[in-house]
Amino acid sequence: MAQGAAGAAGARLSPQVDALIRAAQRGDQDAFEQLVRAYDQSVLRLAMNLLRSPEDARDVYQEAFLRVYRNLHAFRFDCSFHTWLYRIVTNICLDQLRKRKVRKEEPAVVETSDGPIDRMESFEEDAAEADPERSMWNRQLKQRIEGALEDLTPRERMVFELRHYQGLRLRNIGEMLGTSEEAAKNCLFRATQKMRSVLGDFV
Amino acid sequence: MTCDSLRKLIPLYYYGELTPEEEDLLEEHLHECAACERERERLRLLAAALDRRQQEIPPLLLEDCRDGLMAAIAGGITHPAAKPAKGPWKLFLEAMGATLSGFQRYRQPVGALALIAIGFFAARFTGTNPNAATSQPASPAGEVFATVRNVEPDSAGRVRIAFDETRRRVVSGNMEDQNIQKLLLAAAHEENPAVRVESVGLLRSRADSGEVRDALLNAVAHDPNAGVRLKALEGLKPLTGDAEVRNALAKVLLVDDNPAVRMQVVDLLVARRDDSVVGVLQNLVQKENNSGVRLKCEKALKDMNASIGTF
Ligand SMILES: [Zn+2]
Repeated sequence: MAQGAAGAAGARLSPQVDALIRAAQRGDQDAFEQLVRAYDQSVLRLAMNLLRSPEDARDVYQEAFLRVYRNLHAFRFDCSFHTWLYRIVTNICLDQLRKRKVRKEEPAVVETSDGPIDRMESFEEDAAEADPERSMWNRQLKQRIEGALEDLTPRERMVFELRHYQGLRLRNIGEMLGTSEEAAKNCLFRATQKMRSVLGDFV
Repeated sequence: MTCDSLRKLIPLYYYGELTPEEEDLLEEHLHECAACERERERLRLLAAALDRRQQEIPPLLLEDCRDGLMAAIAGGITHPAAKPAKGPWKLFLEAMGATLSGFQRYRQPVGALALIAIGFFAARFTGTNPNAATSQPASPAGEVFATVRNVEPDSAGRVRIAFDETRRRVVSGNMEDQNIQKLLLAAAHEENPAVRVESVGLLRSRADSGEVRDALLNAVAHDPNAGVRLKALEGLKPLTGDAEVRNALAKVLLVDDNPAVRMQVVDLLVARRDDSVVGVLQNLVQKENNSGVRLKCEKALKDMNASIGTF
């Protein structure tokens, strides 16, 4: 199970983070930069994993931290900074995912058909060709998983992402998405059910 | 409760999100129902496959995002659509595109990455931190493209890195120097395998830095030279408790074509037991065609009291 947010979760209670936030609120640019650096890797990873496009992930990063910059003065320490930041980030990502759902033609896998990123992936598969059976199985499994993830609603996708890849607890996820733990649990439940059914007896 | 309704709880059980009562109920049932236990195993394999799908942050993207953000803030640009003209990431993509249109070999983009990375860092080198490393007079403004020719440690624990731009430069510094580390990180992508082996070998001792860790992971996953991959694996030894490292290693295990690399990965993964390893190893045993690796896996599974095959 991925515990990608371990760093951020650890920083949540740290008095150093509080000090950074207060300094940044007073206009200390260095403190703001340090604050960004404490959290930006997990933000970027979240955006990359959800959107699977470096360009889109970069846009999310930029917009999220600019919003943080502009609104940090309003942060009142009534929740963890991590939760506050993720409210912003998940909002932006959900918007992106919804836009993609509308423009149905957008493949969730990679941004362009002939872009360099796609090629990188095919290179990876070249490397695996030494064992065709293994790479075939992997490829089929991968395709099914992509299909299953595409069938999720943006909200289900987000809850799943935060739980599985970022290793956050449902209670915390509910807090971020402005909903209850129970609702987040139902989302996760639906997400895993859908994925399980797409997989059939494949594994 | 019926098998059907209990089975639905398994995913939430996996995520530790059941109530204690539900958990007890399910555990008791799993103990005596082979069909549901098998379903749990399947979900474990699904979870492992999902772990492998995790995207790595492309090299330089983080750096590019940070630069872009700070530039936007400094420039008073508060509209996210306004981006700086061309960050290193953009340049990297362009170079990749140009390189790929000419070559179809795996190694080429790795080489192109080194060109851009060095160009980018070399340009910063003289600009921002003149005292950090000794070098030739400042380079002309603009983009500089360079290639690493040689990396060698000396007896004093320092490192010498030679790279070409329009002319070759020699930079000396110790491993604590951030510029030296950046050059080594870039050199880990250099086309010449001897340079990569030496760089990865030197970086090994710095795996506690996130950037170095990512470079080592990248080398393990993508370097075409098995010697470089093995060196990088050595560097990851202290990090086998890191979930990201484990995920990356599990992926390598299933795709790496070199049995020595796979053996080493098995060793690293079993050094710290967690449930996902069992799934990964069981999966590998099914497909492994090298008897040495297979035996190692079977032994590891036995040591962990796990069954060797589930289906
Ligand atoms: Zn049952």
